[in-house]
Amino acid sequence: MTSEDGRFVVVFNGEIYNYPQLRTELETDGAHFRTTSDTEALLHLYARHGGEMVHRIRGMFAFAIWDQVQRRLFLARDPYGIKPLYTANDGWTFRCASQVKALLAGGQISSDPEPAGVVGFHLFGSVPEPFTLYRDIRSLPAGHTQWVDAAGAREPKPFSSLAEVLAKGAANSISAAEIPERVRDGVLDSVRAHLLADVDVGIFLSAGVDSGALLGCMRDAGYRQIRAITLAFEEFRGTSEDEAPLAAQVCERYGARHVVRHLSQQEFVQDLPAILEAMDQPSIDGVNTWFVSKAAKEAGLKVVISGLGGDELLGGYPSFVDVPRWRRRFGGLASVPGLGRFARTLIGRVAPAFSHARPKALGLLEHSGTWAGAYLLRRGMFLPHELPEVMDPEIAREGMRRLRPLRCLGASLKPDPGSDVARVCVLESVHYMRNQLLRDADWAGMAHSLEIRVPLVDFTLLGALASSIPAITKGAGKAALAAAPTTPLPNEVVTRAKSGFAVPTGAWIKSVVGDTSSSIGQKPESKGIVSRRWSQAVLNGAGLAKRPLEVHAS
Amino acid sequence: MLALVTDAYGGRGGIAQYNRDFFGALAEVGLSSITVLPRQAPDSPVMHETVEQLPARAGRIAYSVAAVRTAFFQTVDVVFCGHLFMAPLAALIARLKSAKLIIQAHGIEAWPQPSGIQRIATERADLVLCVSRHTRAAVLSWSAIAPDRVLVVPNTVREVFTPCDGATKRAALAVEGKRILLTVGRMDSRERYKGHDRVIAAIPDLVAKGHDICYVVVGEGDDRTRLEALARDAGLSDRVRFLGAQGLPSLIETYRAADLFVMPSTGEGFGVSFLEAMASGTPALGLDIAGAKDALADGELGTVASEAELSAAISRILNQPKPDAVDLSTAAHGRFGRKQFAKNALNVLNRLTETA
Repeated sequence: MTSEDGRFVVVFNGEIYNYPQLRTELETDGAHFRTTSDTEALLHLYARHGGEMVHRIRGMFAFAIWDQVQRRLFLARDPYGIKPLYTANDGWTFRCASQVKALLAGGQISSDPEPAGVVGFHLFGSVPEPFTLYRDIRSLPAGHTQWVDAAGAREPKPFSSLAEVLAKGAANSISAAEIPERVRDGVLDSVRAHLLADVDVGIFLSAGVDSGALLGCMRDAGYRQIRAITLAFEEFRGTSEDEAPLAAQVCERYGARHVVRHLSQQEFVQDLPAILEAMDQPSIDGVNTWFVSKAAKEAGLKVVISGLGGDELLGGYPSFVDVPRWRRRFGGLASVPGLGRFARTLIGRVAPAFSHARPKALGLLEHSGTWAGAYLLRRGMFLPHELPEVMDPEIAREGMRRLRPLRCLGASLKPDPGSDVARVCVLESVHYMRNQLLRDADWAGMAHSLEIRVPLVDFTLLGALASSIPAITKGAGKAALAAAPTTPLPNEVVTRAKSGFAVPTGAWIKSVVGDTSSSIGQKPESKGIVSRRWSQAVLNGAGLAKRPLEVHAS
Repeated sequence: MLALVTDAYGGRGGIAQYNRDFFGALAEVGLSSITVLPRQAPDSPVMHETVEQLPARAGRIAYSVAAVRTAFFQTVDVVFCGHLFMAPLAALIARLKSAKLIIQAHGIEAWPQPSGIQRIATERADLVLCVSRHTRAAVLSWSAIAPDRVLVVPNTVREVFTPCDGATKRAALAVEGKRILLTVGRMDSRERYKGHDRVIAAIPDLVAKGHDICYVVVGEGDDRTRLEALARDAGLSDRVRFLGAQGLPSLIETYRAADLFVMPSTGEGFGVSFLEAMASGTPALGLDIAGAKDALADGELGTVASEAELSAAISRILNQPKPDAVDLSTAAHGRFGRKQFAKNALNVLNRLTETA
């Protein structure tokens, strides 16, 4: 879209949730709107505030604004990194797009591999920003802006930081008793903002607390005729693992129309090539999001609410317990220089079987000395010392040098968020959620022309809860969320959610990629499917692995 | 600014020329003082006003001592490192003086992965300047520096290269009526990437197609004898003329006299002679490999061909009417001339102050 005077041109991917307020403000200030689109608000904001405009926007966004007069380009990406933005600069030409694939499709960008991206994928199961699988393509980091003009592209500059917001919150933290009210107000406000749409907004509903509570809040926000989509598995029909009955109960409580979509192994196998094709960057996860998005599309929905981000914000993952515990138990020993590595080498020599079966146990002494190390231990698919076994050792070495995963994890904790919960919250949000969950939601949703909105991934909400987060104890965050709707979630949901649900996709994948080995780096909280063969298949889908792997239906 | 360079004023090669152009441009856009410390300066130097060049120090240790001593007694805001080889020394001085560090990367010296210490020094740089996109991509492949700190600043072409009638030179060379192919470049037996061999190999085919070819080779080097023998053995002695090194006026006339400048090189950092030819009004042809693509502006100024289609491309260009020499020259100067180079130099200075 071009501004009325033709000076500014914007390309925008995303959604501005405070558009009505912004429009009123801008119109009071004399702006003349020609459309009802939030895209136009960006043009007016930029004309008035330049790069500082980013502080006024609430939403998920990635955009580029070209100034015809000053001949310069301004790029920005939302604080959480919900929307992706990739750039390629060959020294002569600067290109940007919301997909890596789009940049490659132009044919002018080299597809030489980026060792840091390949190593990052093996460590985390997704490609960590700012890297991609390709050396000449980078991601503009979340919460950053970038300027480009005749003098070249400037280094991206941060405009927001989760760690900083939480550090401020820690400085005036509140008591546990106040948490439920804060959560209720904050979440309801966020849900309300996320309902801004000119089409029906549906919801992905599992039998968990996050999506259930959001449904309740949608209701509290006055939203009616909600369609809720639940993914169920043929295998589990009629068993206690089936999420559908509990989800149905939630629907009934909040008066939503329930759409249960059953998924069979056959359909899964059928869609697998399309899934690998749709992934923009390789990811070991995202399969469930693919199918629930498919179901939403079949139900005629264009926009849905998702509970993504609840575990990160409200201490829902086991990592909130494990990471601080490992730091306490092993951190002292691990901070003795060289001890961890020595122990690993020694045990590797005398008990190779143990070291092979329990690589993470071995890593405890080496990595639990820092928050970054302990987190890597918790989230890593592989640990750095295992990389030479699973990939080209030269690429592994070079990739580690370029990626510097521990330094990069550590940097996200500056300034110090001030409490254990907040530290893990930051680590989970800016690494696992940003590089994996949000990327998956983006490609899987986009492949079905579906906009996935995430009210629990909202910078305003984070600000509202920053002083509550330090006081969140195990289970308290989710309990507060469950109690957020005026009519609280059924008790069964809260109780059942603690034990979690199984998904058969892991087993299906094993049967498809022919994996007989045990899963590595199990991640129950992500309902993930992690195996060497699968990660290899995903890399193949991205066209970088050496040997093509046949995906066969067996 | 303290500039640590192999050679600049009084130096002979392309790197010396680039350094002179760059320092001249920096002086022009307002850098108040430039002190140049060269490793060598065989010819008598002619300097810009605000540029001072210290006596050359050939020995590595003597050079390093001179560099540190110079830095110690002067205000140094920027250290310019003209060759990757000196990057560790430049990085050390920049750190001691809390100065900005610019590292210049040209061609083949910057393509393979350098020593660990050179790599670390490069990653410390505030800006790395590369003469072409290819060199930039190579630097980014071995260094973990932020891509936005690695800029392309292409070589420039001097204003003396202008178009004019080449008849006098043709007469002097006694090549009237012939189609003249020209290559200008050093003939180095260790490098051998300029592609003289490829042009010689293409001559029989071109002659068979009816082109009365004369291939003029300008430049010196220890590979010349081999190339002369190669032409002789192919029975092309009368069609290949080795003119040796040429002074500037003669070089310019030779460019003007040629029908086509062809340098099927595989190792150009940039290939400034493509620009000199086009600025002199003669079309230029190179391979789609490395920096040559930049000098030929991806085919917008010159012609880019694959190795396999070299002979066909030469033939095609010779069959076409020669492009308007003034237009070609204007386009070459417009894109890579002094004005644009001065803009680039100013951009570099601005980038340094921005990062302050």
